[in-house]
Amino acid sequence: MATIRFKVNGKEKVVDTHTTKTLLDVLRDDLYLTGSKECCGKGECGSCSVMINDEVVCSCLVLVGQVEGEDIKTVEGVGTSTNMDIIQEAFIKEGATQCGYCTPGFIVAARSFLNKIEKVPTLEEIEEGIAGNICRCTGYTKIVKAIQTAAEERFSRIGAAVTQGNLQGKGD
Amino acid sequence: MTSKWIGKRVPRLDGPERVTGELKYMTDYHYNNMVWGRVLRPPYPYAKIKSMDTTRAKNLPGVIAVLTHEDIPGFNGFGIVVPDQPVLCEDVVRTTADAVALVAAETEEIAEEALALIDVDYERLDAVTDAEFAITEQAPKLHADGNIHSHVVIKNGEVEKAFQEADIILENTFHSPRQMHAFIETEGGWGILEKDGTLTIQCPGQYAYRDRLQIARALAWNPARIRVISSPVGGAFGGKDEITVQIYLALLALHTGGRPVKIHYKREESVIAGMKRHPFKVKMKTAAKKDGTLLANQVLAIADTGAYASLGGAVISLAIEHSCGPYKIPNVDLEGYCVYTNNGIAGAFRGFGVNQVCMGIETHMDMIAAELGIDPIEIRKKNVYHQGDVSSLGHVVKGSVGTWKTLEAAEKCDLWINREKYKAEISEPWKKRGVSIATSFHGVGMGIGLPDYGAASIQLLPGGRFEVGVGCEEIGGGNGTVYAQVAAEILQCDVTDIVVVQGDTSRTLDGGTVTASRSTYTGGRAVATAAPNMLNLLTKAAGEIFGVSEEQVRVADKKVVVYDADGKADSSLSFAEIYDYLYENRRDTRVEGHFMLPKEKKEIKGSGGAPHRLYGYLTHVVMVEVDTLTGETEVLRVVSIPDAGKVINPQGLEGQAEGGAVMGIGYALYEDTIIENGYHKTTNFSNYILPTVKDSPQIETFPVEELEETGPFGAKGIGEVVMIPIIAATISAIHDAVGVRIKHLPATPERVYAALKARKDQTNQSNEENVM
Repeated sequence: MATIRFKVNGKEKVVDTHTTKTLLDVLRDDLYLTGSKECCGKGECGSCSVMINDEVVCSCLVLVGQVEGEDIKTVEGVGTSTNMDIIQEAFIKEGATQCGYCTPGFIVAARSFLNKIEKVPTLEEIEEGIAGNICRCTGYTKIVKAIQTAAEERFSRIGAAVTQGNLQGKGD
Repeated sequence: MTSKWIGKRVPRLDGPERVTGELKYMTDYHYNNMVWGRVLRPPYPYAKIKSMDTTRAKNLPGVIAVLTHEDIPGFNGFGIVVPDQPVLCEDVVRTTADAVALVAAETEEIAEEALALIDVDYERLDAVTDAEFAITEQAPKLHADGNIHSHVVIKNGEVEKAFQEADIILENTFHSPRQMHAFIETEGGWGILEKDGTLTIQCPGQYAYRDRLQIARALAWNPARIRVISSPVGGAFGGKDEITVQIYLALLALHTGGRPVKIHYKREESVIAGMKRHPFKVKMKTAAKKDGTLLANQVLAIADTGAYASLGGAVISLAIEHSCGPYKIPNVDLEGYCVYTNNGIAGAFRGFGVNQVCMGIETHMDMIAAELGIDPIEIRKKNVYHQGDVSSLGHVVKGSVGTWKTLEAAEKCDLWINREKYKAEISEPWKKRGVSIATSFHGVGMGIGLPDYGAASIQLLPGGRFEVGVGCEEIGGGNGTVYAQVAAEILQCDVTDIVVVQGDTSRTLDGGTVTASRSTYTGGRAVATAAPNMLNLLTKAAGEIFGVSEEQVRVADKKVVVYDADGKADSSLSFAEIYDYLYENRRDTRVEGHFMLPKEKKEIKGSGGAPHRLYGYLTHVVMVEVDTLTGETEVLRVVSIPDAGKVINPQGLEGQAEGGAVMGIGYALYEDTIIENGYHKTTNFSNYILPTVKDSPQIETFPVEELEETGPFGAKGIGEVVMIPIIAATISAIHDAVGVRIKHLPATPERVYAALKARKDQTNQSNEENVM
């Protein structure tokens, strides 16, 4: 057992646990953040996707000892039902969630993708951004559309911010 | 009358909690004083249990309970139709998917360690791994009644005579894969013995009331003492129709002193223990006249149900019922066997036997069209039945039939009209493109011989909202939003005024399964039956309040309005005010609606439940690109043309059509759970290839709406047929591209490459012969 400190969704967390426990298990069992799901436990499906310092990883493949001092963002940190992120709003608008068990992983991967793009992405670029996530319900069409919608929204907001001389506008 | 909610793209009402991770699935709950449960599986696919000793496991510190068959208070078996699967094996194991013992422990690790300390002495037996061999006399009998679980036959007309008169006859054998549901949430949940002695099982499922019945039977309890909460579900597709872990949870919960027990399978355990699609061998012989008129169809289908029946009998019945496609074939001889082997367990899966036979008839339609030089859509149009026609089974089809319209829409879609242009746009010189079409259908509801009903409750809530309760679980398709749309349409309110509750035996009525393409049709119709009762309740109360007759009161635009003698609106009350009146007078605020599904009166003899009263129909147009160097196939475009009757939510329908198409592509090209000698070689998603976004084509959905008079606002069901014709269409498109027909699915690069090579070798050989 060891005491591990790291940040989750902007808040300091201190966990007494086995250092070899997976980050996913610590998030779910110790911190009760159950948005991240276990599906394959092998890094094949992306249902457990979280961001570590803005990089998307499968939290089932990360041992909690490895994230000592790191900054982690889970789906709960992307937005809440009373204050949703544009990507979450787009998923609802476009019908991109069905059973929803894979959705948090897609939201995290899509948010990270949106953080990195500098222009409205092509369909191929969007597909590359979520190629590590498996969905069994939707057939992906509406997920891709949702990310496209959110990306367009992001850049139209940036455009509006620039026009108004507000260069601090994050756009999302 | 214009609709406010029906036919509208209403976004999922439960969307916000799904996209934020706030929604708690059953496997997300947490209880502080919990214990972990695990299941012991046998190391052999077929063996006698000579003895079992749990002493060492029980003595391991941290172990709370170790249970065997001796600890089952009631009936040691489960199974939706024939309960032939032991909860915990006593004297024999028939598959590595069997359960032998259960452990509850302080941690998951201790539980796992304890499993290794349970001493079971097995005597290995020779496993039966081939379904055709299983039928023979020499095969060891896996069950007391032998290895044939069910045998169905439908005969109509004179097949042999028709074959003699035919201008063209095709005969082929098709093999289909053991597809895995691969729902993202593996099987799991909670068992809790409450302080009052009742039991709560929180476990995703597809029919809470039937799960409760099966749990109660194993416990020898009154079902009323058990509450099953089965919704929401992280994907099911039929794979959570049967009992998964509910009975294990119940048994363990009786031995943990009230501490909640959790089981949640790792994917590896789910792959072994979970149900799969039945692999089929389908022999089909189809005859036609020169003009393309179908004359006869002869089918022998053998389905491998693995060690236990579950819904295997119903699967083979549906396969045979649907084996002639939505066509009029006057002479048929259709026979199916559902057979026990030691190959895991097969059960319900989206499509339910129809996928396997559709591949046969639609491939033959394609081949006959090519042979006779008839357009593939024309030959189908020529042979389809219409509403009121006699089907191949010999019954008059009474429900709405949209096949002809779907074919007409296919004929007019861009992909079909411009197919030659698109086929020429190859991405590499060594790749070839093909475009093809297939059509199919699928029964809605249970068919003859099974109870089939829907039920819904509507309760007026404080503040004037309504709680709509429907038993059918939310397994992903968005039926909850559909129920809200139906309720809001009739109750003249907003969909956001509707709170939907699903899948909870203490809060919802028994309304049947969420399977068989039935939950929109049946649940929707039940809500549409309950809603007028709520209108009556509201208008009656308003009549009392104003002292006027009910005829002067109507519900309109979120209020109850009183009209004067001239028909002018006089005064009104909000639903909240009506609630307050009812509450103050201690009056009932809840109504119910019940719906018995219409059935055919006469069962086709020997068919095991055919025909259905109602079918959903769908045509797919598919374009593929095949790499002639590697044999790899990519599906580039799909047009899905469903006839679901009235579409209540176009966005939800598209979701089904798109998801079904990609699941069908997986079936056609990639997916197969490999079992060799009774052992699973497939272990996880690392060696079970599921379609990703990179494999997902452009999909367009163009519904035709052939209204069904018995459905809510004319709706039918569509959840299964969305994945069916695409399988045959993809395989025919491969043929269109490179000239080889793959009859053993999935059409992996290896199989396509081998077929290309064999054809090339054959061509070279004949060229050499010509030279010589």
